[in-house]
Amino acid sequence: MSMSHILQADRLSRNFGGLQAVDNVSFTVEEGEIFGLIGPNGAGKTTLFNLITGLTPVSSGTFSYRGKLLTGLAPHCVAGQGIGRTFQNIRLFKGLSALENVKIPQHSRTGSGLMSGVLGLPASRHEERVVEEKAWELLKLVGLSGRAVELAGNFSYGDQRRLEIGRALALDPKVLLLDEPAAGMNAAEKHTLTAFIREIREQFHLTVLLIEHHVPLVMGLCDRIAVLNFGKLIAIGAPAEVQQSQAVIDAYLGAE
Amino acid sequence: MEGFLQNYGFLLVTLVQQALLALSLYFPFMAGQLSLASPGFYALGGYIAAIMATVDSCASLRNALGWTIFPLEWLVAALVSGILALIVGIPSLRLRGIYLALGTIAFVEILRVLFLNLDITGGAIGIFDIPQLFEERWSYILIFGPLLVVVLLFIHRLQHSRTGRAFKAIREDELAAGAMGINPTYYKVQAFVIGAVLAGIVGAMSAPLLNTWNARQGTFDASVSYLAYVLIGGSRSLWGPLLGAALLAALPELLRPLRDARLIMNGLVLVVASIYLPHGIVGALSRLWSFFSTPSAARGGE
Ligand SMILES: Nc1ncnc2c1ncn2[C@@H]1O[C@H](COP(=O)(O)OP(=O)(O)OP(=O)(O)O)[C@@H](O)[C@H]1O
Ligand SMILES: [Mg+2]
Repeated sequence: MSMSHILQADRLSRNFGGLQAVDNVSFTVEEGEIFGLIGPNGAGKTTLFNLITGLTPVSSGTFSYRGKLLTGLAPHCVAGQGIGRTFQNIRLFKGLSALENVKIPQHSRTGSGLMSGVLGLPASRHEERVVEEKAWELLKLVGLSGRAVELAGNFSYGDQRRLEIGRALALDPKVLLLDEPAAGMNAAEKHTLTAFIREIREQFHLTVLLIEHHVPLVMGLCDRIAVLNFGKLIAIGAPAEVQQSQAVIDAYLGAE
Repeated sequence: MEGFLQNYGFLLVTLVQQALLALSLYFPFMAGQLSLASPGFYALGGYIAAIMATVDSCASLRNALGWTIFPLEWLVAALVSGILALIVGIPSLRLRGIYLALGTIAFVEILRVLFLNLDITGGAIGIFDIPQLFEERWSYILIFGPLLVVVLLFIHRLQHSRTGRAFKAIREDELAAGAMGINPTYYKVQAFVIGAVLAGIVGAMSAPLLNTWNARQGTFDASVSYLAYVLIGGSRSLWGPLLGAALLAALPELLRPLRDARLIMNGLVLVVASIYLPHGIVGALSRLWSFFSTPSAARGGE
């Protein structure tokens, strides 16, 4: 095992009843990479994200981050390690303001307890100022600072997707998992999003895992791509290699 | 004047006391947990105060402390309630939604049966002749009033703190809260414990007020009343439980001239409110407010 891999999946598997949603998947991700994950509907991409982030327990196999085992940790512990994510079916805190949405994930980076917060002790007041400042910065970054007090649930689809990325960044992640961030966006928005993902990778020194159906976006953005089909990893490599792989062509044609 | 204070002063004390109990339910609500355990902790707190105030083995302590035995009773009630809530909360907060509600109802019932059968709690008769803190019953506002103010300030500050945000995140989406680094179990238990501590203190303060304490304190009926306070007042704002408790606890008094028909009226108000005010009275008022304030703002912009 080389220490240069930031992420390492080792024979990860998950079955639901008789269904093998993720089947013996192994791969590594290098630091700073944008790593694409593609595959037909139901291939197990989202399940793989859920295994990584602890939302779904693994059936077998392991996943580690900088050599540290994440498998078996509760979701909040995985998040605390610096692994942030968005959801395919957007799970913002819809009844809370945009500002609160980007304040909440700063939780694991801060530490003031119940009484310190209620009494407004100096340490907690200082912490609140930092949280507030960072929250505004993030809203600016995703272009929503003008609507900070609006409820997240009232935002348009595209704005919610952007806010969700902002929320994940509030965690101060080292690794960012994006589950179909471009879903429901038009061509222009997809273009902007591509540039935005590159930009945040530079600015926050991120390693990005990206699930996406839109092939041009994935090909243009990702350094490497892994292809899942029926839970199995059928190809992995640079975009051009993967595109020409016979297994991938078969999988996509077979899925039609 | 004397009679006025006697009648309405006591009503006011009751309203504030009920508001405090509604707020004790509001804490777990803030973290999205439908818990009906408050009456159990209220009864427990009352028994602790009643026992400390009456048993012989505490006589020397009472003589030594004088009136400061009362704050000590509150403190002990708070501690015992908090510890019990921790023990009960950790396993039961795995239950969600209606199952948690049912679990907490069972908890209240278990405590009630326990109190009914223990010697130290006086069995079915309960504990009576509990020494008074004040001569007049309305004077109890001097302890319940400040407690209410403290609790309201506490909630207000809490809502804008790191802990309060964790509560809200869990209420909104527990799974997403976990993925954002918040430990849902920890904060659900914390919210439950705070509510229990408050209910325990209110119980301890109420024992001398009511003079006797028995297993009729803290029943399933009370659980339902407190829940009604929160739901009808509005569960999204700290003013909701307050207003709900004030209205619903006062209603039987206000409807007294109607005699037997008042129970029907009482029920009718509950039904109508729950149908037409799904977000409670405070929720409806804030909608009304934004409805009237939006057009005028638009007019100002023209
Ligand atoms: N909690 C669950 N219980 C049972 N089956 C599940 C569960 N989650 C996912 N599955 C099944 O596992 C398979 C993989 O689902 P998954 O959501 O991971 O696919 P995906 O690659 O993300 O698909 P899509 O592109 O449609 O989002 C599907 O057949 C799905 O029905
Ligand atoms: Mg998916």
